[in-house]
Amino acid sequence: MSSVPAPAQVPDQPVFRPSLIARGIAAFSGTTGQAVKIALLAISNAVAAWAIYVLISHHRWPALAVVCAATALIDWVYLVPRKWTLPAKFLIPGTVFLIGFQVVPILYTIDIAFSNYSTGHILTKSQAIDGIKINSLEQLPNSRQFDMAVARSSSGKLVLLLHNEVKGGEVYVGTPEGLTPIPTGDYTLNELGQPTSAKGYTVIKGAELFSLDQALRDYKVPTTGDSAIEPQGISNAVELTPTLRYDPKTDTFVRLSDGTVFRDNGLGSFTAGSAELQPGWKTYTGFRNFSQMIHDPLIRHPFLSVFLWTFVFAASVVLFSFAVGLFLAITLNKKGLRFQKLYRSALIIPWAIPAFLSLLVWAGLLNDDFGVVNRVFHIHVGWLFGGNVVSWLPFITWPRIAVILVSVWLTVPYFFLVSLGALQAIPEELTEAARVDGGNPWQIFKRVILPLLMVAVSPLLIASFAFNFNNFNNVYLLTHGGPYTGTSAVAGNTDILITYTYKVAIASATGGNYSLASAFAIVIFMVVAAIAAFSFLQTKSLETLR
Amino acid sequence: MHTFSKRTWALAGALVAGLLALVLALPATASRTAGPTIVIWADASRTPPVTELANAWAKSTGATITVVNKGTDPGVIRSGLSTVAAADAPDVIVGAHDWTGELAANGLIEPLYPSAAVKADFPKYTLDAFSYGTAVKKLYGMPTTVENIGLLVNTKLVPKLPKTFAQVEATALAYKKKNHLAFGICVQQGTGGDAYHMYPFFSGLGGYVFGTNKAGNLDPSDIGVANPTFLKNAPLIDKWNKEGLINSKADYSTCSNAFTKGQAPFWVTGPWADQSIEQAGVKFRVMQVPPIAQAAVPFLGVQGVMVTKFASAHNVDAAAKDLVVNYFSTPAAQQQFAAAGGRPPASTKAKSTDPILAQFSAASKGGVPMPNIPQMASVWTDLGQAWVRSTKGAGAMPARRSFIGASKAIADKIG
Repeated sequence: MSSVPAPAQVPDQPVFRPSLIARGIAAFSGTTGQAVKIALLAISNAVAAWAIYVLISHHRWPALAVVCAATALIDWVYLVPRKWTLPAKFLIPGTVFLIGFQVVPILYTIDIAFSNYSTGHILTKSQAIDGIKINSLEQLPNSRQFDMAVARSSSGKLVLLLHNEVKGGEVYVGTPEGLTPIPTGDYTLNELGQPTSAKGYTVIKGAELFSLDQALRDYKVPTTGDSAIEPQGISNAVELTPTLRYDPKTDTFVRLSDGTVFRDNGLGSFTAGSAELQPGWKTYTGFRNFSQMIHDPLIRHPFLSVFLWTFVFAASVVLFSFAVGLFLAITLNKKGLRFQKLYRSALIIPWAIPAFLSLLVWAGLLNDDFGVVNRVFHIHVGWLFGGNVVSWLPFITWPRIAVILVSVWLTVPYFFLVSLGALQAIPEELTEAARVDGGNPWQIFKRVILPLLMVAVSPLLIASFAFNFNNFNNVYLLTHGGPYTGTSAVAGNTDILITYTYKVAIASATGGNYSLASAFAIVIFMVVAAIAAFSFLQTKSLETLR
Repeated sequence: MHTFSKRTWALAGALVAGLLALVLALPATASRTAGPTIVIWADASRTPPVTELANAWAKSTGATITVVNKGTDPGVIRSGLSTVAAADAPDVIVGAHDWTGELAANGLIEPLYPSAAVKADFPKYTLDAFSYGTAVKKLYGMPTTVENIGLLVNTKLVPKLPKTFAQVEATALAYKKKNHLAFGICVQQGTGGDAYHMYPFFSGLGGYVFGTNKAGNLDPSDIGVANPTFLKNAPLIDKWNKEGLINSKADYSTCSNAFTKGQAPFWVTGPWADQSIEQAGVKFRVMQVPPIAQAAVPFLGVQGVMVTKFASAHNVDAAAKDLVVNYFSTPAAQQQFAAAGGRPPASTKAKSTDPILAQFSAASKGGVPMPNIPQMASVWTDLGQAWVRSTKGAGAMPARRSFIGASKAIADKIG
């Protein structure tokens, strides 16, 4: 197109240039690097300064000490040149992220697993006691309600001007001593019935009124017995009667009507027999959640079959996706293939669409009666609702096949890309040499390509296995873990451990049993960690190939 | 020379760090010095009316209000409330009545005591929906809007509204045959099951979820999923399954597709489906499912506003309670909530002008608020599954066995 003569250059022999990464590192070792370092340190210090400010305002002293020490350490390592701190410069960023995103969540999960953190047990004990006190106040059928105005007496004391809501109700002055009627004519009311003025008192309004929040919350005008009139908001007051009394000495609540004593049961509640006061509080309960996993028949019963299926699901998804991905990669790696880029791009599409969308679309496509798949092929396969594929193999059901198929569809692009990369990294001389030595394509693949490929890919296979072991979305969005055999909806046919955990801990009892869910998470973590550790040991042998 | 340049760098670094810290810390300090502020959490669709109303209230009282838009999923508000740090916690939340039990059991929301005059403006069920207590029952929220499902009837296919369930059944089966549908009445379910949408049929056969005890509180030990009346009528479900009147494999998209294309005459759904049907140009009316063995009432959902326990810690408790109890309950405010959310208002003093919403309101007659006790977590899946098992066409389980099983499973879960 351009008439400018091309520079004299042999296209097949490019000039030697260092790799991009090497050039990048080189560019950063001078003044630029120094500037970037300072900028990054500045950001780190700024975040720390902000964290220190927040921590001080929340009175979190131990955390404050940790942040200060860590920030000082980081600054020292990067600003004071010492030969022996050099490795730390490389390790610190990784360590910070490791602690932030791995260690802290794991420690937090362990902390929750040994507690009773669940619906009804999230406050501290003192907060729970306050909550019980508020909840124990009863509005008796004959108790009065008042339209209220807050005022000050001539001596500046806070009083309530109370207008009984009933028709033609009287107006009183309420003080911590009791009620005193105001004679008619000495007060005025607005159209809502609230007192607007009273002789000898100044009504408080606006900002001053809002600043009295705490005083209003604690204000009580005693009436008969234990009952008292309490402000509710800034324009209402109600006569309330306590039904429970807290005794701080014995740490018990006593029901006033019959003298029943509610004691701290050690599990974060005040109980008397089966009666329990709400709210409870968060406390540590030892191995209770773990023992529930073993002893609760609801959980124990389906555990083994769910575990087995989880294993089969994760393993087959990884195996099939890798097989298909590798096959496609080899096919599309052929030199001189036309539209190669087009094919490669097309294959990545399942990966590019958010799984949340494609899973729901798949659920629609595979619907037994209304799905496109069954309709187009004029078949009736119970993809989502159906039963066994063959009667003598109860383990293999259509819904399980559907979950695996869709998961494979979603995972293939990943293994396609990974395999393609690994294939291109295998030196051609090796396959050439094998071909010269008379190996047929299958032998070359099996003896040369695959072992070399596995060195690069096997850690990814293990990671993918661990990911699929906990692949909540694929199962839950497709089948909700169903269909269910029998009449219990605790563990469905396609439930893997993580969806089953959700059903047992979150969609059971009073819901929100995060402590039990955390205990499950720890068990799952240990299983996955054990499998991964074993697999990594196995793949070590592959590395001897190098 | 070399060490000097290093020092300069360090100095420059410290300077930049200080400046950045200042910039970052500034907005935090600015908001603190402005004095007590009421923080409201609302979901995306309710943020505009809440903001507008709150600002009007703030102007008249001199308080400051911040409305935080928590996004389209209101569940974020529910779960966020139990994990948020006290300093960032809201004083008022906009939410649904069925959160009441969980939030109250957690000790996160405060009881409210509206005056008799305010209470008189609300139907009893809307206040009951927000009431909870194992010993003393208390009101924890002020209702703003209500919603429920109804039977949508395509008036082109069915010009005269059916009066009895037998008429619905006959018409539905006729169109099923004519249009080669896999169902007669479309009730969305899917593998997960959907107890909310099947409830009218369940209640029409005599089923209920929880009974009430003497104090008028929902009793989690009284499970009505397999009560004798329901079991006596349950074989009707098997009949419907056999004749294909109801098919649990249908989900929302199946129903929407069939109804908006004018193939299905009946669809059990809620006001959220209005727009898509109107866009498709299908004329329809909404009615309650006609009585089966008894009135086939829907579950009722009530949205409302609640005051959190954090309001006390922030010293805005009195102000927050006044805003919620005395201001959000006014007919004008209710009207605004209703208009913004596309749902009928809760207050009887405010009227919805939308004819379809009025029909939905009429279809709510006698309905049951979704149980607001936390034990409801054990019910949804099992009740939905009982229905799915019995109405999945071939291979379905007889309804009696299915619901007895579900009832037992629910009791086991509640423990």
